[in-house]
Amino acid sequence: MSDSSHTLSQEGTIPKRARSKFNRSEAWWGYLFILPSIVGLFVFVLYPLATSVYLALTKWDGLNEPVFVGFKNFDYMFSKDPAFWPSLKATLIFTLLNVPVTVGAGLLLAVLLNRKMPGIRFFRTILYLPTILPLVAVMGLWKFMYQPQFGIINSILQTLHLPTSNWLSDETMAIPSIVIISLWGVGSTMIIFLAGLQAVPQELYEAARIDGAGTIRLFWNITIPMISPILFLQVVPQMIVTLQAFIQPRLLTEGGPNNATNFLMYNIYSKGFGSLGSFPDLGYATALMWILFFLIMFVTFFIFRFSNFWVYSDNRVD
Amino acid sequence: MNISLKANQKWLGKNRQFKFNFLSIGLYILTLLLCVTMLFPLFWVITTALKGNNDIYKVPPEFFPKEFHWENFPKSWEAINFGRLFVNTFIITMLNVVGQVASSMLVGYALARIRFPGRKIWFYLFIGSMMLPSIVTLIPMFRLYLNLNWYDSWLPLWVPAFFGNPFYIFLARQYYLSIPYDLDESAKLDGANHFAIFTRIMIPLTTPVWLTMGILTFQSTWNDYLNPLIYLRSEETWTLALGVATFKSSFAGVSNTQWNLYMAANLLYMLPPIIVFFVAQRYFMAGLGSLATRSQK
Repeated sequence: MSDSSHTLSQEGTIPKRARSKFNRSEAWWGYLFILPSIVGLFVFVLYPLATSVYLALTKWDGLNEPVFVGFKNFDYMFSKDPAFWPSLKATLIFTLLNVPVTVGAGLLLAVLLNRKMPGIRFFRTILYLPTILPLVAVMGLWKFMYQPQFGIINSILQTLHLPTSNWLSDETMAIPSIVIISLWGVGSTMIIFLAGLQAVPQELYEAARIDGAGTIRLFWNITIPMISPILFLQVVPQMIVTLQAFIQPRLLTEGGPNNATNFLMYNIYSKGFGSLGSFPDLGYATALMWILFFLIMFVTFFIFRFSNFWVYSDNRVD
Repeated sequence: MNISLKANQKWLGKNRQFKFNFLSIGLYILTLLLCVTMLFPLFWVITTALKGNNDIYKVPPEFFPKEFHWENFPKSWEAINFGRLFVNTFIITMLNVVGQVASSMLVGYALARIRFPGRKIWFYLFIGSMMLPSIVTLIPMFRLYLNLNWYDSWLPLWVPAFFGNPFYIFLARQYYLSIPYDLDESAKLDGANHFAIFTRIMIPLTTPVWLTMGILTFQSTWNDYLNPLIYLRSEETWTLALGVATFKSSFAGVSNTQWNLYMAANLLYMLPPIIVFFVAQRYFMAGLGSLATRSQK
């Protein structure tokens, strides 16, 4: 962070009298400018966070006032709710599959495209294009392509004499099908890896090549360590987003088949805002929300905690 | 950063020309194949959108429509009341773009360039709130809006935008820190206050940042599904995301989805982000890359 160096250089220009105390009009301007965020922090973060704790301990249908029920929600969740454990399992399986696959594919694609070739900018643009499309449209499109009877994917597989699948309506294939859709949006990770790769000093590669290292060794021993900070920067948000996957089950599978894609966020939505045949309980949904929250916090903490084992840190001052 | 990135690319270009050997050509063909695969789904939307009602169920499917059914577009337009939903989505999106960019740039400016007591603490508090997944606040906010009588209105979808986005504040602050402080000093000597410095000096200097923010906000609001789904009940207030997602139910009488019309609606809905992307692409790709490498420092 270059903050300290700037304040230092700034202090040099400020007369001695002013250095000890903050200028009053400066303070006024400062608080005036950050006022939106202060209000936002209280109204949109701290207040709802506090009420969220209370709501998790209530039964609330959204019409009448919430009724305090103590820890009944959590009791029901862990011991009786037939959907909770399967939905937790589905979320974890999806995350463990989705994050490594998309981050890995993004990295490989970036390595592939980090070279001089005719039309390279055009290729990068094409690979990035799907990531800007609205997820709702993307889901509609893939749902059509995945159709077991007349969908294009099964037709292509048939012409190639490869086994076909029921894709989204198959219990074991549902999650991999959704991961394939995520792969279509791999351009967003690719573009950030590309920026990282271009910052890797070429001398390192040349030195290693002189020492007789092959392409694969170069990748493992130079590329991966050098871009590990960016890799890390990609894994954490990807993880957070994947743990909250909602549109996919909502628009593609409705949590099915047999809870295989009943991800936590979708489960929360259907409990709180009602799916067909169930009565909305926003109190219980808030309790589920806290489980998802702790899951995200735990995973983030875990990655941060063990990041120093594999993230190369550059201590040069630049 | 931008400059050094560009210099870096130039430098790379000099040293790594395209070589005609088996490996390069193999990788080139691989790249081409990947691009074709990535484009295929988009191609498939377009073909399907132009097919007749019966052609979509043909096995094996035809890659090009035999006859072009352009009337699918006006039909799907009518089916989801596209005009109305487009205007709704556009208004909400623009309010979000203006709100998020203006508030974040303002707060970022204060945190980077005004010396006031507690600015470090506020900075960490704002950044800390970024770590908090927004989902925890979803239901309590729903309750708040319900009590305010904001349910089934657009207010929950755009009012929060005017209170700053932590991630953007972070980006803005990092960028402001890289601008020389002599500029403010000389402006102050000329009698400019912070508002004048912000509007006259900083806004032109920070174009890549706020442009990137604006595009990102446009994309995320245009594509947002969860919030409109929760807050908008009456169909005339809906956004396009809701309209397109519920396309099936608008043909309640017919058991099968009319996929050709559905894909036509999808295509119409995708078009604005694609246009924005191609118009702003140069700024956007460079902006994203430099912001990413900048923020990891």
